[in-house]
Amino acid sequence: MFIKWMKQIFKPARSVTKRQKQHQGETPEKKDRHALPSSFEQNVGMLKSKFGKSPDFVLNELVNPKGLTLSAAVCYIDGLVETVLLPDLISAVIHLLDNEDSIQDAARSASEFRSMIPMGNVQSLSTEEEIMRAILAGNVLILLKNNDWMLGVGISGGVRRSVEEPTSQTVIRGPKEGFTEELSTNLSLLRRKLKTPALKFEQHIIGTYTQTRVVVAYLDGIARPEVVEEVNTRLKAIDTDSILESGYIEEFIQDAAITPFPTILNTERPDTLAGSLLDGMVGILVDGTPFVLIAPVTFFNFFHSSEDYYQRYDISTFLRAIRFVSFFVALLLPSLYIAVTTFQQEMIPTTLLITLTGQREGTPLPALFEALAMELIFEVIREAGVRMPRVIGPAISIVGALVLGQAAVQAGLVSSAMVIVVSFTAIANFVIPSINMASAVRLMRFVLMLLAGTFGLFGILAGLIPLLAHLVSLRSFGVNYFMPYAPYFKSNMKDLLLRVPWWAMKTRPNQKSGRNKFRQAPNQYPTSSDEAGVYQAEDKPQNKGN
Amino acid sequence: MNSKSPTRASELAATFALFEIGSTSLFLIGGEVRQDAWLSMLIASVAGLLLLLIHLTLHRIEPQLDLFQIIQRYSGKFIGGLISLGFIGYFTLEASRNLRDIAEVTILTLLPGTPLWSVILIIVLVVTNTVRYGPETLFLMCIVLFPVIVIGYFVILILLAATGLLQFHFMLPILEHGWKPVFKAAIPGILSFPFGQVVVFLVFYPMAATRRGMNKMILLTYCGISLFLILFNQINILVLGPVLATNSSLPLLQAVQLIQMSEVLERIDPLFTLILFLSLGVKLATFLNAAVIGISRVIGIKHKPSSALIGVSTYFLAFMSPTYTEFIKVGREIAVKYWWPIFQILLPVLLLIVMIIRKQRKKGIN
Repeated sequence: MFIKWMKQIFKPARSVTKRQKQHQGETPEKKDRHALPSSFEQNVGMLKSKFGKSPDFVLNELVNPKGLTLSAAVCYIDGLVETVLLPDLISAVIHLLDNEDSIQDAARSASEFRSMIPMGNVQSLSTEEEIMRAILAGNVLILLKNNDWMLGVGISGGVRRSVEEPTSQTVIRGPKEGFTEELSTNLSLLRRKLKTPALKFEQHIIGTYTQTRVVVAYLDGIARPEVVEEVNTRLKAIDTDSILESGYIEEFIQDAAITPFPTILNTERPDTLAGSLLDGMVGILVDGTPFVLIAPVTFFNFFHSSEDYYQRYDISTFLRAIRFVSFFVALLLPSLYIAVTTFQQEMIPTTLLITLTGQREGTPLPALFEALAMELIFEVIREAGVRMPRVIGPAISIVGALVLGQAAVQAGLVSSAMVIVVSFTAIANFVIPSINMASAVRLMRFVLMLLAGTFGLFGILAGLIPLLAHLVSLRSFGVNYFMPYAPYFKSNMKDLLLRVPWWAMKTRPNQKSGRNKFRQAPNQYPTSSDEAGVYQAEDKPQNKGN
Repeated sequence: MNSKSPTRASELAATFALFEIGSTSLFLIGGEVRQDAWLSMLIASVAGLLLLLIHLTLHRIEPQLDLFQIIQRYSGKFIGGLISLGFIGYFTLEASRNLRDIAEVTILTLLPGTPLWSVILIIVLVVTNTVRYGPETLFLMCIVLFPVIVIGYFVILILLAATGLLQFHFMLPILEHGWKPVFKAAIPGILSFPFGQVVVFLVFYPMAATRRGMNKMILLTYCGISLFLILFNQINILVLGPVLATNSSLPLLQAVQLIQMSEVLERIDPLFTLILFLSLGVKLATFLNAAVIGISRVIGIKHKPSSALIGVSTYFLAFMSPTYTEFIKVGREIAVKYWWPIFQILLPVLLLIVMIIRKQRKKGIN
C-alpha cells in the first residue's frame, strides 16, 4: 500500500507533458542551432551580446606590431583558461596573421588554418551552440575576418584543487591520492592505474544549464556489455536542468527508487575504482565532484574496503568479520536489549539480571522510550558534529558526553546500561565503510526498536524477515543484491566474508563480469626459499664472511 | 535487463529442505508408537521417497508445466479447474494450519497473553509481503536462511549432547509391540505429514533452470532431510523419555529448555523458537506461493492482488478451530488420514496414469 502510494506521488511529476514541453523550450540547444554569419563584426557583436556585461569575459581585437588592426580577435573567459599559455598563443596568432597577410583574404579553409596554430587541441567551430559550449569549457576562441567559422583552442586551466588524500575513505596502507573535482584529472588518475587500451571512456553531457560532463568508464572485455549498454541508456534518458554532484545521477539511474539501501557504490579513491573495473563493474565519473559512482554492486561490496586487498589476507578476513559483526550490532543491539529486558528476561543470567534491574529501578521511562530518546539524542549530536564549524567542536563533545551522558545517568533519567548500549551501537555504525549503507542501517534500527518494544523478539523477527525479502529482491543493473550468497556462487565466496590470498583469487565475480573471467594463471602458490634453493645459493657465503 | 535471473536447482533444494523441516520439529511425530517413532518415520520416509519419485516422474513427462498447467492440460478445462481449485484449497488450508501453529507457539513461548488475532495478523502481513515478491525471492531467502537454520540445529544438537541430556536407554525396548503398530502409524499418518507435503513443489519444479541436476539434487536433499528429521524427532524421546515426549505439546522446545549454561545464557529456547519460526515461515510462504500461482493460473488474477486475496483468506481460515486442542486433534488425526492423502497420493497417481495413457495413445497414433 505504502509503496503504491509513494509511486502515485512520484509518477505524476514525470507524466505532466505540458511542464516537460515548457522545460524543453527553455533549452538553449533548440534555440541557438544556427550557423554563424561570415562577417567579423557580426560575430564579435554576437559574442558581446551574449557575454558583454560579464566582467570575466575577455575579447581582445588583435593588432600587429606596427599598430595596424588585423580584423581578428581572441576571446576567452577569464579564470577558465591557462593564463601561462595565453601570451604564447596570442603572439603566435599575431605572427601568423601578420606574416601571411594573404591568408585571410584567400579565405583558406578552417582545417588548413587549424594546423598552423602551435597548440595541441584546436577545433573549428561553426555553430553558435558549439561556440558557447567551447568558450564555457575553457577554450580560447580565435575570430578571423570574413569567415563563418571560429577556432577553439583548448587550454583550459585556472584554479583547481590539487590531488589530495581522500577525506571520507581513509586507509592506513594503500595509495593516498584521491579524486578531485576536475574530470580530466580524475580520468588521468584512472589511466595511470590501468595502462591498457581496453580502458574505455564514453562521454555524456547532462544538464541543460550545468552541461556537466559525465564519463562512463569500463574495461572492454571484462565488463558485461549489457551492463555498459544499460548504464549508457539510463544516462541518455536523463533530462534535467542541472547535475551538480554524482548523487543526482545516482537517483536518476538506480534500480529501485523506494529503498533506503544504496544500489550504487561511490568512492573517492582511484584504486577502488580501478579494482572495481577489474571486477567487471562500470564507473561513472561526474565533472565537479570527487565522488565516482560504481555499478553494479552487491550488498557485500559496501562492507569491503580497498585496504582489504593490500593487507595480509588473514588480517583482512578478520577485519571483514569485525565489520559484519558491527553491522549486526548497529542494526540489532538496541532492539535486542529492549526485547530481552522487557519481554524475555528469562534469557539473561541471574546475576546480570539483578544488576540490570537494579539500574533500571530508578529510571522513569520504559526501555523502549529510553532507548529511542538516547538514540535520537545521539543522532542530533552526530548531525551537529558534521554541520557545525570546526572551532565549536569541543563544546559539542562536552555537552554530548558529560551533560547528556553522565549527568543523565546520575540524575536517574537513563540507566547506564542503556548509555553503554547506545554508544556501542553508534561506534559499531562507524565501522561500516560506506556512509550511505551506514545511514540505511541507522534508519532500519529505529524501525526494529519500535517492533522490539511492542512485540519483543517476535517483533524483531517480524522486522527482519521483510528486510531480508526486500534486500534479496533488490537488483543493481541486473545483478542480485545478495549475489554470491543468494544466488549462491561458490567461486565468488573467496572474496566475500573471507579474503583469500591473491594467488588463490582466480576468477572475477560471476554475474558482474563479462567474457574474461580469469584474473591470473593458476598454481602461483609461493614457494618457500628452502625449496627454491635460494638459501644455499646466495646466503651461505655471506654467513661465512660474517 | 530487468528480467529475473533463472532459479537454480540449489535454491530449490534449500527451499525444499527448509520446507520439510517446517513445522515437523515442533511436534513429536509417531508418538503413538513411543520409542519406536524413528522406525515409523523411517518407513514413512521410504514411502515418501516413492511418492516423491511419482511427483518427479510427473514433472519429467511435462518439464515445462507446473502442477496447475498439467492438470488443465490432462483433465480438461472444467474438471481441471475443479481439481486445481481443490489443490489451491489444500495449499491454503495447509498454510492456515501453519499460520495457526506459529501463532500458538508464539503465544505459548514468547508473548503469553497477547491476543491470537493480533499475532496471526502480524505473521500474515510478514509472510504475504514475502509472497508478494514472487517465489524467486522466497528461494533466495531460503538460500540465505539455510545456513542459519542448519547451524542453529547443529548447535542445539551439540549442546544437548554436551550437557549429557541424551539418555540412550529411552530407545529400548525396540519393537515392544511388534511391527504392526509401527506400520499403522507410518502410513498414512506420518507419510502425509511431513513427507507427502512435498507435492507442493510440483508447482515450483519447472522454475529451476538447470534441470539435469535438479532431480538428483532434490532426491538427495529429501534423503538427507529425512534422516535429519528422524534424528531430531528421536532426540525428543531421548531427552524427555517416551511418556513425557508424547504428552508434551512442544517437545523439542521443552528439551531445549533443559539446556542450561548459567554462565552465558540462562535459557536459549527463545532464540531457538526464532529459528523454528524461520522454517515454519518458509513452509507457510511456500504453500501460499503455490496457492497464489494456482489462483493466477486458474482465475487469471495477477500475482500481487491474488497474494492479497490468499493472504486474507488464510487469515480467516486460521481461526477455523476454536481451541488449540481441537486444532491439533483435527490436524494430527483427521486431516492427515482422510483429507491430505487425496491431494498428496490419490490425485498425483491418477494424473500420472492419465498422462501415461495419453502418451501411449499418442505414440499409437503416430
